Amino acid sequence: MGSTDTTTKLLIDSHEIEEYGTNLKILPCNNQVKELQTILRDKNTTRSDFKFYADRLIRLVIEESLNQLPFTKCVVTTPTGAKYKGLKYQKGNCGVSIVRSGEAMEQGLRDCCRSIRIGKILVESDADTHEARVVYAKFPDDISERKVLLMYPIMSTGNTVIKAIAVLKEHNVLEENIILSNLFCTPIAAKSLVTAFPKMKILTSEIHTVAPNHFGQKYFGTD
Amino acid sequence: MAANIQHPFEPPSSASSESDDGDVCLDDREIFLADELCEDAEHYRRSDVVTPTPQSPRPPSTGSQKSPRSRRQRTTSMSQSSKKTSAESILRSKTRTIYTAGRPPWYNSAGQQVEPFVIGICGGSASGKTTVATKIIESLNVPWVTLLSMDSFYKVLNEKQHELAARNEYNFDHPDAFDFELLKTTLQRLKEGRMIEVPIYNFVTHRRESRTKTMYGANVIIFEGILTFYNVDVLKLCDMKVFVDTDADVRLARRLRRDISQRGRDLEGVLKQYSKHVQPAFYYYIAPLMVHADIIVPRGGDNEVAIELIVQHIHTQLQLRGFKLREKLAHSYIGQPLPSSLYLLPDTPQIKGLHTFIRNKETYRDEFIFYSKRLIRLVIEYALSLLPFEDVTVETPQGVLYGGKRGATNKICGVSILRAGETMEQAVRDVCKDIRIGKILIQTNQQTGEPELYYLRLPKDIKDYRVILMDATVATGAAAIMAIRVLLDHDVAEENVLLASLLMAESGVHSIAYAFPRVKIVTSALDPEINEKFYVLPGIGNFGDRYFGTEPSDD
Repeated sequence: MGSTDTTTKLLIDSHEIEEYGTNLKILPCNNQVKELQTILRDKNTTRSDFKFYADRLIRLVIEESLNQLPFTKCVVTTPTGAKYKGLKYQKGNCGVSIVRSGEAMEQGLRDCCRSIRIGKILVESDADTHEARVVYAKFPDDISERKVLLMYPIMSTGNTVIKAIAVLKEHNVLEENIILSNLFCTPIAAKSLVTAFPKMKILTSEIHTVAPNHFGQKYFGTD
Repeated sequence: MAANIQHPFEPPSSASSESDDGDVCLDDREIFLADELCEDAEHYRRSDVVTPTPQSPRPPSTGSQKSPRSRRQRTTSMSQSSKKTSAESILRSKTRTIYTAGRPPWYNSAGQQVEPFVIGICGGSASGKTTVATKIIESLNVPWVTLLSMDSFYKVLNEKQHELAARNEYNFDHPDAFDFELLKTTLQRLKEGRMIEVPIYNFVTHRRESRTKTMYGANVIIFEGILTFYNVDVLKLCDMKVFVDTDADVRLARRLRRDISQRGRDLEGVLKQYSKHVQPAFYYYIAPLMVHADIIVPRGGDNEVAIELIVQHIHTQLQLRGFKLREKLAHSYIGQPLPSSLYLLPDTPQIKGLHTFIRNKETYRDEFIFYSKRLIRLVIEYALSLLPFEDVTVETPQGVLYGGKRGATNKICGVSILRAGETMEQAVRDVCKDIRIGKILIQTNQQTGEPELYYLRLPKDIKDYRVILMDATVATGAAAIMAIRVLLDHDVAEENVLLASLLMAESGVHSIAYAFPRVKIVTSALDPEINEKFYVLPGIGNFGDRYFGTEPSDD
């Protein structure tokens, strides 16, 4: 990921991510992805552009997250009568979004997996203590059998997500069955997540010391 | 020129002026012949022939070419203006587009233009030039013929000249009345196969209209007018020169009949103009041009023997330039390394999984469509990343600066190759707000196996754009090469074209890369072979049929 001098310190390059282990992956960056990130970072971006480009980036992140799912090889016959060596994904996946900004990613998931089940978790921080606590959670009954795509776009401390994962584990979801799908992550959050849940897979588009915390407000228009 | 006769709708005042040429102010100068009547079965689309409505002279479609169908029976003579088709590649009736037979390749297998054969027809006013041109076209049986008339190139008159013209005193038969510079560049470009804008001369105002008529190069270009051999440079562009020599009495008789009965002018005026301008100009300027002619056709359009000879010669010439593209494309380049202009999407499990869905013949259409769309979106996103970007630094709401990228141009447009390429349009719209989308319809001629161009509609200033050219699959590359050729003919820079597909065959990639090395080629999968029906193996089958649900029922 190219970056200018002013930001190299802030941005974690892909070759530096080894310290986070192999389960943390960064969306392969290209100019196009960088442009999307730039637009989302720019304070002069209009709301309509913000939503439009956020949706595009989300779609790419979701597509890439799906690449983390397990698959098996198979052979199909094409209309020309020839064989094609392909692969297929297993059934039994679901999405879980963390209210509210995680919900922004639901449509992207739906666009890729039409009828996937989606659970929700609402985590709020206590106004005084800043302690995150779970106030609502609703999942598919058999979530413990499923692979879970956990969606949350912005992580600055990682506390919210850590809480959410704790809830999933209470529902007997295996840590290795969780894929966390994220747009922007800070090094601190990345570190604490891989430390707390070493078997969980994490996919983000960028690790940068400053998180774009305006995301939810701007996306939903509540600023 | 006989031509005039054909126009019923002549601009009134124009009449006053001189020669026949004058009348042509409408667009019909280009004829396209053939198409109007064909009823061949394979060309389903054309139902009844509607005459190309004169009143909508510049129909929308950019394509001007017309393709005549070869075996059509012409039921009426071309010279009825009502029959003449306008210059569009597609005929438009009020509400419908009527497709003519498509235009076969006009370039060789390396994608380079093959020069069209240019026939210059010269002769006095009302000598029957247009009739000769029309008859040549009719007997040629060549699909794409463009007829360019000198009448389009009259100079714009100033006030004073305009008054003279109103009194029948402006000399429209003198060489000075023509803009030979413009004529030369126009014909030159046409010969290079470029799209050109032909001025539309208004014989009422004696000015060029602000609109122009779009024309394209063709296999054969016929250029006619009273002084077509006058300018040396123009003369050099003609591969064959025909002089139509009709008796002066006959020409006068035709003029009288036309000007009086069709244009409502009076005998005195017509005679005055004839003796003052038309006749002297003929002897001073036109008749001497006869020495340049390869063939002199006495008696004009009635001379069947002469026309037959001309047609035979043209046929011979065209055969020398013939081509059999697709066959050739399918069998070259086996075993060569892939070109550097090919950008293959990273081979991820998802992409492979999506391919597994859409390649499987058992996949239902709703799933086929859904997964195709997902794949298309990825292809388009990837294609966009290949466009030029520049570094920018933006301010964030968090107060830090962020070094990022921004697209270096917002002049991006999509062009889909119908029908299958159309399936990719939505994805482009989903990623580029308000993007302009052009369309090119290319179909394979079942008899020749060659691609044929049927229709095109492109953004007007497409030359300034980066173009994402979309086709769902590329087998031999024949259609893609034709489409790229069309874009280049519209002055799009080769390096500004990006071809995006879901699936390509290696040989097609090689052919395209060889013909157009600067075109970026993007695909999500590359298959090794093509079968004898030009389908990719293992392939997807007929993508368009599966997506739109038009598979043959025996499947």
